[in-house]
Amino acid sequence: MDFIVATFRKDLTRWREDAHALIIWLAIPFLIGGLITAMAGGSGGSGPSGTLLIDDRDDTLISGFVAGAFAQDQIGDMLTVQNVGAEEGKQLIDAGEASGLLTIPEGFQDAFINDTPVVLTLKTNPAQTILPGIIENVTEVLLDAGFYLQALFGEEIAAIQGVDDEAGPSNAFVSSMSVQVNDKMQALGPALFPLAFDIEIVEPPPAEPRPDIGLLFLPGIVMMALLFSSQGLSADFWKERETGTLRRLVSSPGLLNQFVFGKALAATLVIAGISGITLAVGFLYHGIAWSKFLPSMLWLIFAGAGFFAWFAALQMLFPTQKAANLLSTIFLFPLMMMGGSFFPLAALPDWLASVGRMSPNGFVVDKLTDELVSANAWSFDIRSWTIVAAIMLSGLLLCSWRLKSGFARR
Amino acid sequence: MLKVDNLTKQYGDFTAVDGACFEAGDGKVFGLLGPNGAGKSTAINCISGLLAPTSGHISVSGFDIVRDGKKAKATLGVVPQELALYEDLPALDNLNYWGKAYGLRGAELDARVREVLDYIGLADRAKDLPKEFSGGMKRRLNFGCGIVHKPKVLLLDEPTVGVDPQSRARLFEMVEAERDAGACILYTTHYMEEAERLCDSLAIIDHGKIIAHGSVDQLKAQVGARDVLQLSGRFPDGLAATIADRGIADLDVLTDESNVLTLTMTTASHHLPAIFEAITAAGGSVSETSLRSPNLETLFLLLTGKELRE
Ligand SMILES: Nc1ncnc2c1ncn2[C@@H]1O[C@H](COP(=O)(O)OP(=O)(O)O)[C@@H](O)[C@H]1O
Ligand SMILES: [Mg+2]
Repeated sequence: MDFIVATFRKDLTRWREDAHALIIWLAIPFLIGGLITAMAGGSGGSGPSGTLLIDDRDDTLISGFVAGAFAQDQIGDMLTVQNVGAEEGKQLIDAGEASGLLTIPEGFQDAFINDTPVVLTLKTNPAQTILPGIIENVTEVLLDAGFYLQALFGEEIAAIQGVDDEAGPSNAFVSSMSVQVNDKMQALGPALFPLAFDIEIVEPPPAEPRPDIGLLFLPGIVMMALLFSSQGLSADFWKERETGTLRRLVSSPGLLNQFVFGKALAATLVIAGISGITLAVGFLYHGIAWSKFLPSMLWLIFAGAGFFAWFAALQMLFPTQKAANLLSTIFLFPLMMMGGSFFPLAALPDWLASVGRMSPNGFVVDKLTDELVSANAWSFDIRSWTIVAAIMLSGLLLCSWRLKSGFARR
Repeated sequence: MLKVDNLTKQYGDFTAVDGACFEAGDGKVFGLLGPNGAGKSTAINCISGLLAPTSGHISVSGFDIVRDGKKAKATLGVVPQELALYEDLPALDNLNYWGKAYGLRGAELDARVREVLDYIGLADRAKDLPKEFSGGMKRRLNFGCGIVHKPKVLLLDEPTVGVDPQSRARLFEMVEAERDAGACILYTTHYMEEAERLCDSLAIIDHGKIIAHGSVDQLKAQVGARDVLQLSGRFPDGLAATIADRGIADLDVLTDESNVLTLTMTTASHHLPAIFEAITAAGGSVSETSLRSPNLETLFLLLTGKELRE
């Protein structure tokens, strides 16, 4: 036990000399996090923002209402509506420069009034998750609203339709019509007409706070800090082999298990510090409930120890330090890519996301994302925690085994 | 006490140590003298438990290093040939850490570390990082790390390689102090002078085999009183035989090549005129002459026909 503590302190003292490495491990995730936030609009708590392209081929009053609906209230804060032609719209959406392209077909108003089926097409940007979802919802809601509108004012709309276009409606007709409409409006409440385009009344959105896109990136970025630091520190067994201290250890009665444990403990502290700083900044920025901080840290501590041990064990299987370092670094980037450090898992194509969730870091990121986004407190499900604990323990055992099986003796 | 019995270590097909047997007693320095590649470090690494012997037995303070490794290692101190230091950890912490690895704790450890720092002459640099140290200072710290726990058996593997004369003298004093404190010391070197100065008894090792064994005086007696005469020049074939015919007592020919001739004999200086005469008569010529009185180096030359240091 004393030797665990001695090793722990020894390594922390040594690594203090290497503070610039720590800074790099912190700086890269922060840089990338900053870039992502800037790209996501930089408006932090106010949610994501993007562009909705509307290709209004009908160009009528009713189709105008649809476009207008997207400019309202909270939706308007998130979306900039841009009217485009068919060709321009296709180009922009294919280039990924908008969140969605809504095409309102010719004859939309007629179809709407006549209550015949009509198809609005919405093409969304696969690289984004939240905004296209919102657009989809709003469009659905609008169509629902259209249905209610049609049900309520069908008669009147049909009457307007029946009037000879050339002559225009007679004054009497218009006034009788307005009386009828007014009556219905009065009966149903003043909110009725705007209601047609007011999502909240027609179909209230789910009560849970909408996750903003930066928040979805956060676990991946924290994981990036964790991976950088755990991979970096895992080279320390190789360093100790090069300096000959591993050999000195083998010829002393000091226990290798305690040595591995002490070093892993020191590494975990550093990794937890680095990913903890990243996490804390994310908590502050996104206003996440602090009650989730400790469980999140605990989760990262388990994961950090596990990654450190596995990286170390794998590095010790390579014949030279250079090869070990090079290969584990090369390995690091696909791992980050797949496991949601560059794009949130939710933004990846389904098949890739499900592969990503099976990668060890993707697994850790996925659980952390669920917990941070959820409105509820941390759910300590036995399965996930058993898995990280198993990753950690197996990695540590593997390190011990590798040291004893000859790595320390060369 | 250190006992090495029939130790053999093979790397694949290559035999680095071949049936070595020796014993070193407490309060004594036992030397392992041999050229580079002789197998000294391999032997030391087997004794310290770093390498598993291919065959043979090693007992350290009465414990078998293979079967009773932990107890054996607890009494063992190792000063490896290659530095084994944490260069990014202050000298004091290096000593502290290895003290703890050997089970020292608390006030006892503190006192001992202070003592060792004084002893290795680094008391005023205790807080500094070894990476800022000179080669000699690092060697002394390397030595200190091997003795914090006052080992009963101390293995020193060429501790003076690359060391300035001052640090070297200090290292010798430290080895002698450990010996006087009762430690059993195994000292490997390829310097004859070191072996002669420090060792009570020694083994000469070449190609993994121990080729001579005994106290310094015994080994010197093995050389006899014979000097070694080495001549360089141009020598015709059959010259050695001609010289041997001159009837010089105790004459032996060690090397007989067209440009080098190594001979050994008693009081060589008396026979120089006769030898030169024979060479001239045979049509040869001498460009360089070296005459050495008997020592361990000439013993090695006698036994192997080659120099200890090439
Ligand atoms: N790990 C190894 N694998 C193969 N050969 C080795 C290994 N270590 C040492 N040797 C060989 O064993 C011989 C003895 O080496 P060593 O014990 O280091 O000699 P010394 O310490 O006397 O200079 C040398 O020929 C060396 O090349
Ligand atoms: Mg050697």
